[in-house]
Amino acid sequence: MTSPNIEKTTEVTLDGRVAHEVRDWVHTSRLLACRVDPTGRFVFAGSTDRTVQRWEIATGNNTTLVGHDNWVRTLGCSPDGATLYSGGYDGRLIFWDAAAAKPQPTRTIEAHKGWLRALAVSSDGQWIATGGNDRMVKIWSSQDGHLVREFTPTNIIDYEAYRTKQIAEGHFVREFAEHPQFIFSLAFHPSSHELVSGDLLGNIHHWNVETGQLVRKLDASELHFNIGDVSHNGGILGLFFGVDHKILSATGLHKQTNALANGQEGVGLVFDWESGKKLRKQERLKNSESSTMWRGVYHSSGQFIGGLSNDIGFWMPGEEDLYYALKTKSPIFDMDLHPNQIDLFTAHFDGHLRTLRLQPKPTSPAAS
Amino acid sequence: MEYEKYWCNSSQHLTGRRQFLGTALAGLGTAAGVGLLAHPLGAGELTKQGKSLMVIWLAGGISQFESWDPKSDVETGGPFRAIPTTVPGIHISELLPHTAMQMHHMALIRSINTTVMPGADDHGISTNAVRAGRLTRTATDFPELGAAAAKALDRDDFPLPGHIFASAGGSGGRQNNAAYLGPKYAGVTIGAKDGVINSVLPNGMTVSVDGQRNSWRRFVNDRFQQRHRSAQTDAFTQSYEQALQLMNRREIFDVSREPQTVQDRYGSGELGKQLLLARRLLENEVPYVEVRHDGWDFHHNNFEFHIHYVADFDRPFSIFLSDLAERGLLERTLVVVMTEFGRTPKINPGYGRDHWPNSWSVALAGCGIHRGAVIGKTNDSGTEVVDRQVDHRHLFHTYLRAVGVDSAGEFNIGGRSFPIADTATGPIEELLT
Repeated sequence: MTSPNIEKTTEVTLDGRVAHEVRDWVHTSRLLACRVDPTGRFVFAGSTDRTVQRWEIATGNNTTLVGHDNWVRTLGCSPDGATLYSGGYDGRLIFWDAAAAKPQPTRTIEAHKGWLRALAVSSDGQWIATGGNDRMVKIWSSQDGHLVREFTPTNIIDYEAYRTKQIAEGHFVREFAEHPQFIFSLAFHPSSHELVSGDLLGNIHHWNVETGQLVRKLDASELHFNIGDVSHNGGILGLFFGVDHKILSATGLHKQTNALANGQEGVGLVFDWESGKKLRKQERLKNSESSTMWRGVYHSSGQFIGGLSNDIGFWMPGEEDLYYALKTKSPIFDMDLHPNQIDLFTAHFDGHLRTLRLQPKPTSPAAS
Repeated sequence: MEYEKYWCNSSQHLTGRRQFLGTALAGLGTAAGVGLLAHPLGAGELTKQGKSLMVIWLAGGISQFESWDPKSDVETGGPFRAIPTTVPGIHISELLPHTAMQMHHMALIRSINTTVMPGADDHGISTNAVRAGRLTRTATDFPELGAAAAKALDRDDFPLPGHIFASAGGSGGRQNNAAYLGPKYAGVTIGAKDGVINSVLPNGMTVSVDGQRNSWRRFVNDRFQQRHRSAQTDAFTQSYEQALQLMNRREIFDVSREPQTVQDRYGSGELGKQLLLARRLLENEVPYVEVRHDGWDFHHNNFEFHIHYVADFDRPFSIFLSDLAERGLLERTLVVVMTEFGRTPKINPGYGRDHWPNSWSVALAGCGIHRGAVIGKTNDSGTEVVDRQVDHRHLFHTYLRAVGVDSAGEFNIGGRSFPIADTATGPIEELLT
């Protein structure tokens, strides 16, 4: 795919220490999600005011997309950039004509009972995967929106049987803590029809989407913490394949000291995809601060960029400790790389969508 | 109150007697491993026909938005929706679906502003003041609600402690929360896990031998009392008799005696176990029972944590209410879901909510109140009270009045009068039946 909006995508080097802010767009409400469309023309952000915000990157023109009835938590794009998919705490999956002058929902699916927390699009654009508080992973056709398949984690009680029993006993059907294995994260393997889902308890499930079979489970339970016998903290908040498709990072938090007051540190766990072996962590070993790693991205250079709440961390390939942490102006909940691999878009609590340029500032004639 | 006469002919011993009683009981509790030997000495002047007050204390400050006063369509409201309840027109958070089905037993107060108290956003200060119903309070200035209720609902013939904390774990000693009412009315902790520890005769001690040694103790005590009777000797004597009564009633504290179906219904969680023990205590007319659910202080990830915490509360609480209703206990029991303050309308950068005494809520159920009532109102964003503002002092009056105590009355302690509740305020009359 080529596009006039994409600069060279090969041999882009990265030095996080030279990253600097080049754009700062402001929305009136908190931002929870962001994605750049694969053509590089638009960046989208999901907000707690129930809207999706679209900015045209070249001009900064802003458009509001209305269709959700709760916080918009997750976004994805078709490979050609024509369709935007959004998922929210209203349980809805909405299809949008991404490039329309005033995008309207082209399809609205009541996809999950309770919060829809995660969304992923297969590399061929055929499928959209969604997951949420009902513990279900569902696969939808991008063509007509029909439900292709749904997965329930097999290591826990059968959800449908549980629901049937609840209804028979006259209880409400709960979407919350009675099913604590909320689905937090999803990722399609970039070169196959395989999917990984991550849950609250630190389980990573590897699914064969075509057959519907659970292939294996990876253990990232060190990213989960019990709060007494009442609650949980952590989980697999993000799943990201490396650029060579041979490693998988699961992000979240560890080193919990006081969960109720953010006493914890963001971390990624790196798995070898073929063997499932845990290779290393991606963390901040020096000058650590309270943080959670909601989101990371692999740069084409092989470096890993992770959001650490008030910092953006940069990890060299194969390294456990970050080599640089860039302070941010407001906590980050999502980020995405422009296809040019030069600009990093970050969605912040303060409603700002900022652009970091991962290259040195141009040297001005006066300075030289 | 008419005081009994002692050899020194002084009435001042009444206070001393009770203080000594507490000390003696605590000592005995340690020695015997039974740390809950309260006993009603003398006539209780406010016997209330077996009524009880039951508090579920959500320590840390539950969010009013995510419970009793949801605001679904505003930025401050968070991501949870309001759901209807069994009372038309009353909506609560969707996190409370089971409780919503019990709303016809309940009432809500949505207009609490405790900023009248200095330091109202501090856990310790607010907890102390809210639990004592006073403008300000150090830990020992004024009795807590449990002590006041135990004293006011005291009965001469009641064999059990009047102020019990039903814990999920083991039993513990007596608390220091009765102030001038004396240790007799201070809370004692009973564990749902083990019941009353060391409440059976030790190995090798037969009932017969135990009876003989008690007979000897009584003989010696009586002989001593004939010449040297005092409040202290009364308390000493009585504490042993109370221990025997408690040992004879230890099955009350044993939740394993409940049918398995009932235990299953209450669930395996700690709160469910506490509430099941509480129900057994209420069946036995304990004047004040409290259970505690800790941790509601979500400065970070408020919404994620409320999902789990409220769910952990919702089902056992609703089962507890329905169980009390089915057994007729709700007709003589007031249940209060208390906390020390609410949480901020403003969502902080960690998606937490901080302390907020300006506008928050409590829920009640049971006797003495208009069920299905909602008292007061906050504005659309939940930032302030806009109708029928009350504070913790009004609540304290209201709780006691609902169980038949004249909260404007006084305790007479050793010849001195102590107002039962804050004299500058009164109950929420329109809530009371």
